[in-house]
Amino acid sequence: MTGLLKFFGLVHAGISDNKFLWLLIAGFAVFPIVTQLVDLPFWNDVAMRIMLLGMAAMGLNLVLGYGGMVSFGHAAFIGIGAYCVGIGQYYGLMNGWAHILLSVAVCASLGLVIGYLALRTTGIYFIMITLAFAQMLFFLFVSLEQFGGDDGMSIDRAEFLLIDLYEPLRLYFLIWVMLAIVALLLMFIVRSRFGVTLRAIKSNESRVEAMGLVPLHFKITGYVISAVICGLAGSLFASWQEYVSPDIMHWTRSGELMIIIILGGLGTLAGPLLGAIVFLLLEEFLPLMLGALVPAYAENWMVLFGPLLIMVVLFGRGGLVGLIDSKILPHLGLGKTAVK
Amino acid sequence: MMTNPVLELRDITKSFGALTATNNLSLTVMPGEIHALIGPNGAGKTTLIQQIYGALKPDSGQVLLNGRDLTGLSVPARIRAGIGRSFQISNVLMDFTVLQNGIIAEHARLGQSFRFLQPAFSNPQLIDGAIAILDRVGLSSRADTMVSDLAHGERRMLELALAMAASPSLLLLDEPMAGAGPDDGQRMTEIIDGLRGDVAILLIEHDMDAVFRLADRLTVLVEGSVIAAGTVDEISTNQAVKTAYLGDED
Repeated sequence: MTGLLKFFGLVHAGISDNKFLWLLIAGFAVFPIVTQLVDLPFWNDVAMRIMLLGMAAMGLNLVLGYGGMVSFGHAAFIGIGAYCVGIGQYYGLMNGWAHILLSVAVCASLGLVIGYLALRTTGIYFIMITLAFAQMLFFLFVSLEQFGGDDGMSIDRAEFLLIDLYEPLRLYFLIWVMLAIVALLLMFIVRSRFGVTLRAIKSNESRVEAMGLVPLHFKITGYVISAVICGLAGSLFASWQEYVSPDIMHWTRSGELMIIIILGGLGTLAGPLLGAIVFLLLEEFLPLMLGALVPAYAENWMVLFGPLLIMVVLFGRGGLVGLIDSKILPHLGLGKTAVK
Repeated sequence: MMTNPVLELRDITKSFGALTATNNLSLTVMPGEIHALIGPNGAGKTTLIQQIYGALKPDSGQVLLNGRDLTGLSVPARIRAGIGRSFQISNVLMDFTVLQNGIIAEHARLGQSFRFLQPAFSNPQLIDGAIAILDRVGLSSRADTMVSDLAHGERRMLELALAMAASPSLLLLDEPMAGAGPDDGQRMTEIIDGLRGDVAILLIEHDMDAVFRLADRLTVLVEGSVIAAGTVDEISTNQAVKTAYLGDED
């Protein structure tokens, strides 16, 4: 009971960021009812994709936004999580919970090794080394003919005890529950002593060191947690796609995650999820809009997308969450609330 | 003498290529004393502090804190062994409030920084501890101010408070008055004076009035070597010091 009170206490602690996050998650809970009413079940699929990428972006945000570590290789952990399902099934492991445990364990170990090596560097070198590790893993899976190589491998929806994922909406709500759990964990972590230390390291590493703490330990821990969250998203991604190929861990996806976070709001809880919603909706709608206006150029929707991103980054410091916080909430008489 | 020194440097040498920044230097800081390290620019004062702090490794020689050999220990390990430090350029957590700076220092002191669930900034025990840390320099009235909004002098005070948070046995102060106006300098001098007896202090400072007011003992460094050491009176009448250092200022 006290745990529940604490939860609501945190959500209502005058922090708009927390409330906003749970508002979005609540929105995803009722979304299927809407699609049912308007008879557009296709949109459930889009919503699942948004939740999965949002979850991965939330994981990356722990190191990128809160820890100031610009990792350009987190797609690798999504891929590893997804391949844990594919390879698990290849060897007869059909239980979905086991897949999740496996991807958590593998991503944690891999995150530990990569983090330990990469976090000795900073700045541009860190970006390059994380990208290098991700590319190594990408080409490893391209070369593994046994698991489909370039073509990838198809996957059956995993068997979750008592949950038949072939029933409509079961996968949707499995993803939703996992998203809520990740959001809950991150909400606690970023305000915990560990979380504020991580943010302090981003702010001034040498002062944290002068307090007698070893920054590397906190950075590695944060890196492992974010790797695990991306792995979890990846293993659910595999069940959603019913297919996995090296494409899932292509370096452009790492970039996509970073764009989602920056668009939504770096170092905010709601930012990555909001970013994922806006990013993927633009990806759906911009080609349609452009197609309606100038049909010949529908494929070139990125031409509009790029400037839009640049505008958000330039004018909305703190991304969309920052924009809502400083421009929109005050007009509604809700006052400006600190994101941090 | 029966009391053991807090800090003992034995024959420290450090070279950068052809430049010998620290030349076979020995020095002791006794419990509760304020020991000032003075010398012209480039004398190797900060380099020496860095070697005590652990950010630089001496080529040879030993650093002993309360009789314990620190050689080979990392910066955080030396902090936990009892060293506190303020830097030449203010080194505080700019993106946080004054109180939050104190809270982070407090849970670092308690060894509780690896806790993942309870919110740190609303924890009553941590807040009490942080207020105690800030009270020492009279900053608790500014608790809710963002550090980036603090005046320069206040940031220096905050840094001193953070350096003192873990009740170190040795405090390294690298130009605490640097950039401070006369009022701030005066306040800082009083606060450092108030720490006398609680902690041994190794002080680098260019403000000679402050040095002469605060220092129990002085060590004069020129080109990495000690040219004189003693009380304020001894040093101010020392001919070698006058020509090598103080004489330059006139």
